[in-house]
Parts: sequence; structure tokens; C-alpha cells
Amino acid sequence: MVQRRPHPGRSRARWLGFSAAIAVFGASLTACVGVIGDADEDTTEAESLVLAAPALPRLTAAQYQSSLVELFGASMPKAPLEDDTKPFLFYNIGASSTTLSEFGVQQYEESADALTRYVFADPARRAAFVGCEPAAPGDACVEGFLRRFGRRVFRRPLTNDEVSRWVGISQTLADPSAWEGLRLATSGLLQSPHFLYRAELGVPDDGAPGRRKLTGYEMATRLSFLLWNQGPDDALLDAAENGDLDKSDGIAAAAERLLDDPRARSAMQAFFRQYLDLGRLDGIQRDPAAYPYFTPTIREAMRREVELLVEDVVFESRGDARSIFSTRKTFVNADLAALYGIEAPGATTDTFVPVELPADGPRAGLLTLGAFLTMNAHETRTSPTARGKYVRERVLCLEVPAPPPGVDTTLDPPMGDPKTVREQMEAHRTNPACAACHTFMDPPGFLFEHFDSSGYYRTVFEGDLPIDSSGDLDGKPLADARGLATVLETEPRVGRCMVQQLYRHAQGRLETKGERLALEDLASRFAGASFDFRTLLIELVTHDAFRYIGEEQSP
Amino acid sequence: MKTTPLSRRTFLRGAVGGTAVALALPTLEAMLGSRDAEAASTGPIFGIFFWGGGLPWHDGHGAPQAGHPDLWTPAATGKDYAPSELLAPLAPYQPSVVTGLTPHTAVPDLPAGQSDGHMRGFMVSMTGDRIRPEGFDHPSHTLTALRPTLDQYVAKHPAFYGPESPRFRSLILGASTARFHDYGHWNAISYNGPDDLNPPILDPGQLYDLLFGVAADTAGMKRRALLLDAVMEDAKSLSARVGAADKQRIEAHLEHLHSVKSRLEFSGDACAPPGKPAPNDELVAKTDIMGSLLASALACNMTRVFSFMLSSPATTHVFSNLGVPNDFHATVHEGAWDHARAGILYQMQAFAAFLGRLQAVVEPTGGTLLDRALVFGLSEYGEGYQHSVAEMPCVLAGGANGKIRRNVHVRDPGGNYSKAHVTMLRGVGLETPSFGWNGGETSEAFGDILV
Repeated sequence: MVQRRPHPGRSRARWLGFSAAIAVFGASLTACVGVIGDADEDTTEAESLVLAAPALPRLTAAQYQSSLVELFGASMPKAPLEDDTKPFLFYNIGASSTTLSEFGVQQYEESADALTRYVFADPARRAAFVGCEPAAPGDACVEGFLRRFGRRVFRRPLTNDEVSRWVGISQTLADPSAWEGLRLATSGLLQSPHFLYRAELGVPDDGAPGRRKLTGYEMATRLSFLLWNQGPDDALLDAAENGDLDKSDGIAAAAERLLDDPRARSAMQAFFRQYLDLGRLDGIQRDPAAYPYFTPTIREAMRREVELLVEDVVFESRGDARSIFSTRKTFVNADLAALYGIEAPGATTDTFVPVELPADGPRAGLLTLGAFLTMNAHETRTSPTARGKYVRERVLCLEVPAPPPGVDTTLDPPMGDPKTVREQMEAHRTNPACAACHTFMDPPGFLFEHFDSSGYYRTVFEGDLPIDSSGDLDGKPLADARGLATVLETEPRVGRCMVQQLYRHAQGRLETKGERLALEDLASRFAGASFDFRTLLIELVTHDAFRYIGEEQSP
Repeated sequence: MKTTPLSRRTFLRGAVGGTAVALALPTLEAMLGSRDAEAASTGPIFGIFFWGGGLPWHDGHGAPQAGHPDLWTPAATGKDYAPSELLAPLAPYQPSVVTGLTPHTAVPDLPAGQSDGHMRGFMVSMTGDRIRPEGFDHPSHTLTALRPTLDQYVAKHPAFYGPESPRFRSLILGASTARFHDYGHWNAISYNGPDDLNPPILDPGQLYDLLFGVAADTAGMKRRALLLDAVMEDAKSLSARVGAADKQRIEAHLEHLHSVKSRLEFSGDACAPPGKPAPNDELVAKTDIMGSLLASALACNMTRVFSFMLSSPATTHVFSNLGVPNDFHATVHEGAWDHARAGILYQMQAFAAFLGRLQAVVEPTGGTLLDRALVFGLSEYGEGYQHSVAEMPCVLAGGANGKIRRNVHVRDPGGNYSKAHVTMLRGVGLETPSFGWNGGETSEAFGDILV
């Protein structure tokens, strides 16, 4: 039996912490709280950027499909593929660390076969696709097509050996016709690991031994998968061919072009969905008798609201990206307007309209919107712990460890008189085993107590008990969620956390300790650009940490 | 195209009103296909049946909600025990059970959270080892196995199939589509190794096509198979250029291409297909459908190893048909014991439907598929209220060709879970001096069950 070894690139040095954040928190708080990734206490050594070994991401199912749609058109048949996984929140990390199953390989075969049958069965469609009519197996038409198409599929020109090999294959399999041979060769290219995996091998860098510079074509691939979530188009491959992507300004120019395209918006939405963990909305259900505003259509509306908010902040107004956690601007459909109790002229179930949440109201920012409040609550009661944990882990990138073994994590159901959730959770404060961590999770979570499990604003708990939404963040007392939003508006850790998560998504792996400086650098550039997310993307793709890789350790 | 051989599901014994219904037996020549690898097999079958959510908790689990009766452990030990409430649905199939087992593997303190029952109990019962601590991340529920799960351990053991492997080394199936999380073992139970999962086929139509959907154009299938040689060339060239860990991933891809190629080459030789099933999302009905397709595949020796994930670890399946309003993970977590009882009983009814499909197929030898099989029934922990790994369920159904004694209850309080692994591996004919890792090693088997 084959014993699998852990991946050196992913395991060797997975940890990174921001030294500034550690300085703030490491000294004052207990061992419960750390910055995510801060497993190593050793943060004082002299630092330089140490590049990580290359990864080998497989295309995610979404990347595979969108790359093919680009080549074959949106009406192409879509075959089922193996589900992706998202360790540490990101599909890209799953794609560079997991192994495809046997059935997954079979699905690639079936997908390529079905797709090429669809294209080649229709004479008009195949003529348009191939651009010429093969007169004989392996003729100039066939070779020209395989060269052209192969460059798009492999994201680089085929070598002459590869061209002659694939032309040969199309000849061998040209039964009953040259067309069938060409179809099968096309199917083969789509199953090739050169298409399915993104090899980033680089070339030796004369100026700096020990690191490798990604080639122009490799940069085109990285840029395109990050900014479009699909393979590069001809213009980007041309830029690579011309050497434009060997230089920082050429990369920036190419990235600007990609970012001006609608495909960039959908790619960035995919990033924000993963970073904000919105997939957890999928399973949410609420009893309509207990939560009358939780309509059958509201769950999707909650997700859409976040997307529209991100779209507005990141792309439309290009404001401070952190403001998604504090802005009073949002986008509601009729379901959400009812849940929030606000006027939204023009809103229907399907139509979202921009609204300004009331200045004297309880809501501002993503943490007061339906998605966050609902997915971090139980079916029948709120969960200050889950909400506080989200604030710490997802918004601030602080780590909250799992409960120690043997601890009773269940709260007794209310007995006798109804008790508020806060009262039930008193044990978290009084039992030392719980308090070590819950002291940091529950108090920010209590700030949301005015919002029930469906995100509806309530003034009393179970009839007549007053609600106390006071809490704190890092020991700083706050009155409610609006108070937290005001803090987050200028909180440096929010910006750093965003950088860290984007970096993981872009690299398809956890940051290594050697990359600490790169993250510091990006975070300060992000701050210097008033937290404009688009500028952060340009800074990232032109950064050495994105353009160079370390030498792979010898096996 | 070659003549399609007749199915070797030669006669079915349906328990219709207690009367065995026998169908005519065709001649042996007509039944045997032209491909030797699919000739009638008499080798043992090994399978896993997994359900999520453990058992309803009782004092033996150490759960703080005291006073609930143990609905799982039969009152008496030994042969022909009287089944408990939860084992009663399985009684017609005479499973042996071991109660009281728990993981003996040690778990490192850091990163914290590895002792969570979902994860520790799952890994120990499925692999005999702990979670891989490296890369473990409790906040994002990221974890992986250190080694193959028992189904893959058996399927890839050189002594199990010997030189002739069947069309599928294993079939990986499941029923419920509810998932706790998008990552790894939260939606799959079968591992080949770290970060190397076999996601289950959950759709009966997809399974049907995989097993019986054979294209008429065999010449075209052969060309598709030939094409894979070219794809493998590319895999080899990539493999030569990447680092050690990525090389393993590409080598696995290459190995899978070989398997797919051989299936394409022999695609004309499939067994006579059963009827294509209509979709049904009701859990017991769906299990019955998947079980019947699997039984057809086993009967014509398409494979001898399977795993079936009725529901995933920490399943969020909503048993609304039982009046359970919340998802099952939340239900057990919140301490709703009656709902836990209903949900587990229902899952045992699905297990019974599954075993019934294996028992219904009588082979030319006169025995049933279940006589030839050993089906390991398990969940991820003892109970879900506190995620206790005390008193983990362990069912050994089927006779394993006479190597496993049926209908025996062995009670081993605090016993090492890997004793069950040793028992099963020896039961399916694999020499197993010991099994288990990191403190869980044992060479002991349950002598009352292993013949």
C-alpha cells in the first residue's frame, strides 16, 4: 500500500502571524487567543521574504466549467464533476492539496467526450469551432487547429513535439473520418493534466539564487485564475508571448484590463463568498410559525444582499473595503425590507433596491444583516458564541481554539422561569474551563442579542424579558452591534485579515512563515490606498511573493 | 458487439408473504460472460455501512443528561441474543454486534480539538488511527486521515483480489445529500490516504449509468480507451516535473486513468442490467434502491468491496418525516433525546433494507450474497449530545463465507475498537497480525465471532 506523505509545500511552514497584532494581543491575553496561523511563538527572528515552494492546483469545478464555456460557448452541455473541498475556507486550497478520486477521473473522461460530441456532431457548429474543413487526417487544417486550440487549453504554446504527437493521435483515431480523429484529439487535450492542473514551475532567476521567476505564461495563468476564475484569453496569452508579463508594469496593465471586465466581478464575488463563509447559509431553515419574516425566498435574498454590498463597496464606489462591516448602505428586496422594517420603494421579491439604513436604527454593516445573523444562530435561539466566534475568526482573523476534551459544551435548557440566552450562558463565565475562551467569544456575540435567529430586531425576549445587548471587544465595553460597527470602521485588524484571506485564496495554500513580510507589506499598502480593494489586488499580483516561487525541496 | 451475457442474479428469493420465490436457473454457459474476470466469484465481499449521529445517549456514555435507557446494547451476550430496540430492525439478518468499544488511539494536545468525537471516533473506527494532526484546523473543520479507511485497505490489499481485479476495486455509495460542511470527511467517508477522498455516488441514476449504462458503439469505446494512452503520456511528462507531494497526486491520477481505460475496453461485457430505478429521495426507499443496484453489481462480480454512507458524519439530515424539526446534528447537540432515538431507529430501518437486498440474492452456490459478505456497520461516535466516544456501535453483519459467526453479541466495556478491525480483516481472509496505530495497536480478535 502506498503511504502518503504530507505535502512539504503545505506543511513545512504553514504559520504566519502579524507581529503587530501579536504585540497587541500576545502580551495581554491568555493562551486561548492567538492570531490565526500563529502557532510559532518565535516571532522575533530577523526576517526576509522566504518564498514558498510551488503548488500544483487542479482546476476547481467552477474553473473547469468557466474555462470551457469560454472555449465552447454557454450553451455547451455540462457534465457532473467531483465536488471540490474547501479546507481553511477556500476551494483553491482544496484544489492544490487534495487528490482526485478514480470516479473523478472518469467524470473528466465522460465530460470531455460528451462535450466534443456536442460540438462535432453538428457540421455548422464544428466548422465554426475548427475554422476549416480537414481534407485528410492530420492535414494542415488539423494541425493549425490543434496548435491554436492547444495554446488556449494548455495556457501556453504547445511544443513542436506535442503538436506532432497530438496530430498523430488525431490520425490514428481518424475512424471513420478525419473529423472523428480531430474530435478525439480535442477530447484528449481536455483530459490532459496540462489542462487540468496548473503547473507553476518558473525559471531560475539570475539575480537571486534560490528563487524562480514565473514565466509569462505562468503569470498569465495566475492572473487569470485569480481575477477571472478561469483560464487566460488570447489577449493575455499574447501579452505573455510579448514579454509584457515579465515586468511589474506589464502585469499591472494586464490586471487592470482583467479587472475592468465583468468576469472579474464574479470572480471576486466567489472570493468574498468563501472568505465570509456564506456557504453556511445553504442549510439554514427556520420554522415559519416562530419566524414569520423568514420567507422561503429570504435565504437567497440574504446572500444576494451581501453580494450587492460587496459589489458596491469594492467595484462601484471603490470605498474603504472595511466599510462592509460598518456602512448604513445596503440592498434589499421586499423580503429583507420587511425583515428590517424599512421602506424600500420599488423592491419586490426579485428586485433589490439600494437603501440607507436609518441613522438612529439598530443596523449598520454586514454584521447586522440577515446572512450573518441567521447563519450564526440556532434554529430556535440565538448563539452569541457563534456570532462572537465569527467576529473573531472571520472578521479579525483571531483564532479561537476548540473546547478542551471532556468539557460539557451543552447548556442546560431553561428551567422554571424563562431565562435569556445571556443568563443561560452564565456558565461560560463562571466555569473556569469555559471562561478561558468564551470570555473572548461571547461578549462580542452578546452585542447582537437584539437580533433573533432570523435576523429580526426584537426589543423583548420571550414576551417580557428585557434584552441586554451590552458586551465588549477585547475588553472595551460596547453597547450594541452599532457600537461594534463603529469600532470596525477603523479597525486595522479588519484590513489585515482581508489581506491574509485574499493571500490564501490567491496562492491556493496557507501562507508560510517566510511570507510574513509580504503580508505585512501588502497590509500596509492596502492601508496606504485607503483600503481600496482593487488597489490591493494590483499590489498583490505585482508583488514578488506572487511572481516568484522558492525552489522545491528535493524529495 | 458481443452477446450480452445473462445476469448471474439467477434467482431471487423474495420474502413475499414468507414464501421463497424462485426463478428458473439458466444453464451455466449462458450465464458466464466472455470475460473471465467477471466469472462467478465465490470470494468474500467486504462492505461498510455508515450512519451519522451515533446512538441515543445513556449513562454508559457519561453524558450529563442522565437517566436515559440504553436502547442499543442487548441485555444478554452470546449466540442468538435477544435484540435491543435499535437492533430489532436488523434481527432478520442475524448480525453479530460488539458493544462497549472505544478508541485506544492517543491524540496530541495540539492543535486543540482533535479529540472531538466526530473526528476522533470517525478516524479510529474507519482507519484504526488518529486524525493527521498536521493541517488540522478546528475553525474551518479541516481534517484528514493518516491512512486508508477500511474499505480501501481491503480493496487495495494485495491478497484480497490477487492478480485478477474486477471492474471496480470498490464502489463508493451513499444516500443522504445533507452535509455539515463542504470539506472532506463531512461529506465522504472513504479515504485512500491523506487528502485523498472517494466521494460517494449519491444518485441512483448516476450509479445505474456507471454500472449498466453501456454504449452500443464498442468500437467508439475502444477509441476512447486508446485516447487515454495519450492522456497518460501527458500525465507522465507532468509528473516528472513537479515536486514529491504533487507527484503523488499526479501518479494517483495516472493510476485512475488506467482503471478508467480498462473499464472502457471491457465496456461491452457488462452484465444484463436490471431496470433503471425511479428517483426517490426518501431515505429508506433510496437506500433500498441503491442497495438493489449494488446487489446486482455484486452478484455479477463487478466488485467485492463497497462502502455506503447512509448519512455523513455530523449529518444535517432533517428527519421531517419523523417530526424532528431541526437538522440531526443540531438535534443531538441540543439534547433532544426522543428525536435522537427516532432518527437512529429510522437509520437502522434503512440499514435493514440494505441488508435485505443482499440477503435476497441467492447465488448459484445456494448461498445468499449476505452469506458471502461481511458488512461493517458503524457511526462516528458513541453519541452526539456530548460527542462521547464511549460505547461506540459496531455491527458485523453477514457470514463472510462462514468465517464470521452470526447473531452473536460480544460485550467488551472499554475495549479497543481495533479488535473489531482485526476480527473483520481476518474474517475476509486477510492475514492480520495486528491492526491499529498510535496506542491503538492490537493483535486480538473477538474469538466468539471469528470462526
